[in-house]
Amino acid sequence: MPNTVTSMLPHRSTSWLSTSATKGRKWFQRSGISGQLLALIIVMGIFTIGTRGKYLSLVNLQVILSLAAIPAIIAIGLHQVVVLGAIDLSVEGVVAFCVVIVGFLAHNKFNANDVGLWIIPITAGVGGGAGVINGLLNTKLKIPSFISTLGMSWVLWGLAVFVSKGQTIPLLNNPLRAVVNGYVLGIPNLAIIAFLIFAIIQLVQDRTRFGRYLYAIGGDEVLSAQAGVKVHQTKIFVFGIAGVLYGLAALFLAVKLDSAQAITGNNLLFPAVTAVAVGGVALTGGIGGAKNAALGALIVTALNDGLILLDVNPYAQQAVNGAVLVVAVALTIDRKKLGFIK
Amino acid sequence: MSAAVLELQRITKRYPGVVALDGVDFTVYENEILGLVGENGAGKSTLMKILIGLIQPDQGTYRLRGAPVVIKNPAHAANLGVGMVFQEGCLVPNLSIMENLFLCHEIGFRHFGFLSKRKMRDAAHAALGTVKVAADLDTPVSETTPAVRQMIEIARLLWLSKLYQQRNPVLILDEPTTVLTDDERNTLFSIATELKSQASIILISHRLQEIVETSDRILIMKDGKRVANIQARHAGIPEIEQMMVGHAFAADRFREDEQIPPGDQVTLTLENVSKRGVFEPLNFEVRQGEIISLVGLVGSGKEALCRCIAGLEKPDTGSIKLAGKRLTPGSPSEAVRAGIGHIPIDRRSDGLALGMTIAENVNLLVLDHLKVGGFISPQREKKNALRWIQDCRIKAPSPSTMCVNLSGGNQQKTVIAKWLSSKIHLLVLDHPTRGVDVGAKDEIYRLIRQLARTGVGMIIMCDTLEEDIGLCGRMLIMKDGQLVNEVNCPPYRKPSPSDIISSIV
Ligand SMILES: Nc1ncnc2c1ncn2[C@@H]1O[C@H](COP(=O)(O)OP(=O)(O)OP(=O)(O)O)[C@@H](O)[C@H]1O
Ligand SMILES: [Mg+2]
Repeated sequence: MPNTVTSMLPHRSTSWLSTSATKGRKWFQRSGISGQLLALIIVMGIFTIGTRGKYLSLVNLQVILSLAAIPAIIAIGLHQVVVLGAIDLSVEGVVAFCVVIVGFLAHNKFNANDVGLWIIPITAGVGGGAGVINGLLNTKLKIPSFISTLGMSWVLWGLAVFVSKGQTIPLLNNPLRAVVNGYVLGIPNLAIIAFLIFAIIQLVQDRTRFGRYLYAIGGDEVLSAQAGVKVHQTKIFVFGIAGVLYGLAALFLAVKLDSAQAITGNNLLFPAVTAVAVGGVALTGGIGGAKNAALGALIVTALNDGLILLDVNPYAQQAVNGAVLVVAVALTIDRKKLGFIK
Repeated sequence: MSAAVLELQRITKRYPGVVALDGVDFTVYENEILGLVGENGAGKSTLMKILIGLIQPDQGTYRLRGAPVVIKNPAHAANLGVGMVFQEGCLVPNLSIMENLFLCHEIGFRHFGFLSKRKMRDAAHAALGTVKVAADLDTPVSETTPAVRQMIEIARLLWLSKLYQQRNPVLILDEPTTVLTDDERNTLFSIATELKSQASIILISHRLQEIVETSDRILIMKDGKRVANIQARHAGIPEIEQMMVGHAFAADRFREDEQIPPGDQVTLTLENVSKRGVFEPLNFEVRQGEIISLVGLVGSGKEALCRCIAGLEKPDTGSIKLAGKRLTPGSPSEAVRAGIGHIPIDRRSDGLALGMTIAENVNLLVLDHLKVGGFISPQREKKNALRWIQDCRIKAPSPSTMCVNLSGGNQQKTVIAKWLSSKIHLLVLDHPTRGVDVGAKDEIYRLIRQLARTGVGMIIMCDTLEEDIGLCGRMLIMKDGQLVNEVNCPPYRKPSPSDIISSIV
């Protein structure tokens, strides 16, 4: 047969795994996270040496996991939008708005409202609603996601501050407090929740038609539409899921801080975008999954935790993060797809 | 004669400034290979896009297996068993072979709500078996060759027609061979002939030889009209050409009488240029006005050599000099500034700004010459563009037509016009007549001869050996990365192809 394709991956003759492990190695190369796992090991290795082992202590590992959880949840929502080839800059506004809603509806100091556990579907729903609007603006009104989501962020942020009058609303006896701050077998509950969210989204991406369509649109929107993919529906759904996850992140943040205030939304976008890029999700779309987003969040958190342990100046830390973002994008972007850079 | 699958009547499609299709009747019968030929811009692709519902006709009726239908979109057409393999390919590049095969029709593979990889794998192997491809199903399509991609598309269409129980599907192949090697082309045609027992195939090509050899029936289009419908076994290539273009072609195909002896001055010098694993150190010169043809099989290294000369690849050793001046290796911008032009094989993606107008593309390299008092003069711009549009016979309503809206062949002519209009000393032409019609081919030969007279040296790689021999003054034969032979091709004393084939293989 003249037309046969075998594996197109580069074959290396020197292997550090036995030949019987080729299947495993192939999986490793194809998994799309080999570089990220390596990066994580390197980061952790350097800090372990730099801190003479303190970095690897149980307490510090618990800190890393619990700090990584919320950025991971946000990044898992955001990355699917990036896989579409779009971007979602509405994180901070959506979180601010949802946090303020938590302040008003959960048991608090200022009013008699107490919706109990209903607060979970409510914040998820409000976030999801904002996401769906993002999707509608992008697909039906054909506004580039860069603009529509940026606008959405400012609108919701403004509303959040306006409605809450900029106040901090302390929460009282929140039923979720124990869950959010607790541990199971030494693992922070929030990290377990983030892991479950990751597992569900990853399964959906790998094993459902929705997952196929997500990557098809990211690869080529026009061709996918020709093949019969319902492009608008899929996109709106992706923005919606992102919003739901931002809403949940907002709830967890409020419960963790035991108070609700709009500024809780601040400084969430940059770490999420960095996590998505560091995780290996190409900003050109079509490449990278939930595993990449989750791992990216873990790498970024592990890095910052190490920098703090080493007492690095916060401004220098910020500079490191900026550099990491640019380098990550440079490594993951699919240049074949870019005719020119805007 | 067997029954008709597709019957289109009086199809008309107008675009601003052009009537792309003018009352065309078009019928496809069961189990046949139908060849569709015509000049660039005759309306072949437009008609096919109507067949699959990518565009809607302004007028006309469409009957499929006897019943009138309105095809809403390509997905609808695929469900009805009508599908097209596009020149540019229509697979999603980042998805794997298997994911592409079943895209949007995965519903049958669900197992407790999730897609069953095992079921999909089995079906994918079976589907690819029908087109004789043994492939790693998880390979992303972007990493496969154009030949494999075509086969995947064909397999997808056949699989869909089985899934929806459509008898005798119709496969449209729009210029499939422009991206294939000779071996791949033979495979494609043998598969097509085999598939005839269960499908009808529409084949579009500018290589009349393959049309005559493969098809059962041939339709000829000209200016949006159907001008002839002939049985392939009665068809001769010269007659077809005449019906396509409207006039006969002289026996002197390659304008040998215009071939001139090379000048004294050396334009391009290669000294010990090599690229590891691709080609070994080479030395040769191109003189003023000389046409050198590089021949060799795929893998002989000739493509890489040309890319090195154009600065697109960096050779490992040696130097490339233009008029005695050494060029920085691997710098395309310096090559262009020094006056080296390159017409790449994939003109759609490499050579043309599709979102720009014809005039903008043609004038891109000569903007400096179109200035009046420091600013680009619109009059001059228009004049220059018009001149080259006429010279290269680009068929378009106006110079300000967007290149996306041009027919495939006319896009190619635009790239050629861009280089020809600029002031170059050396031109590398990678398959300059691929995908262009016979009339335009003749025009391109004329332009090549004209450039030679003005002293431009050329390195060409052609579609056929005959074309290479006919055009060039000297032929360099490459094999396994080495220069194995050099043959002079003076006018009227040209070697025969069989003399040369022996040193190629
Ligand atoms: N979207 C469009 N807008 C304007 N004009 C168009 C459009 N699509 C096609 N045309 C015009 O319709 C005519 C027929 O084009 P078509 O692509 O069908 O030609 P073709 O026979 O396939 O030629 P080729 O052999 O070069 O591929 C051309 O003159 C082309 O410029
Ligand atoms: Mg065409």
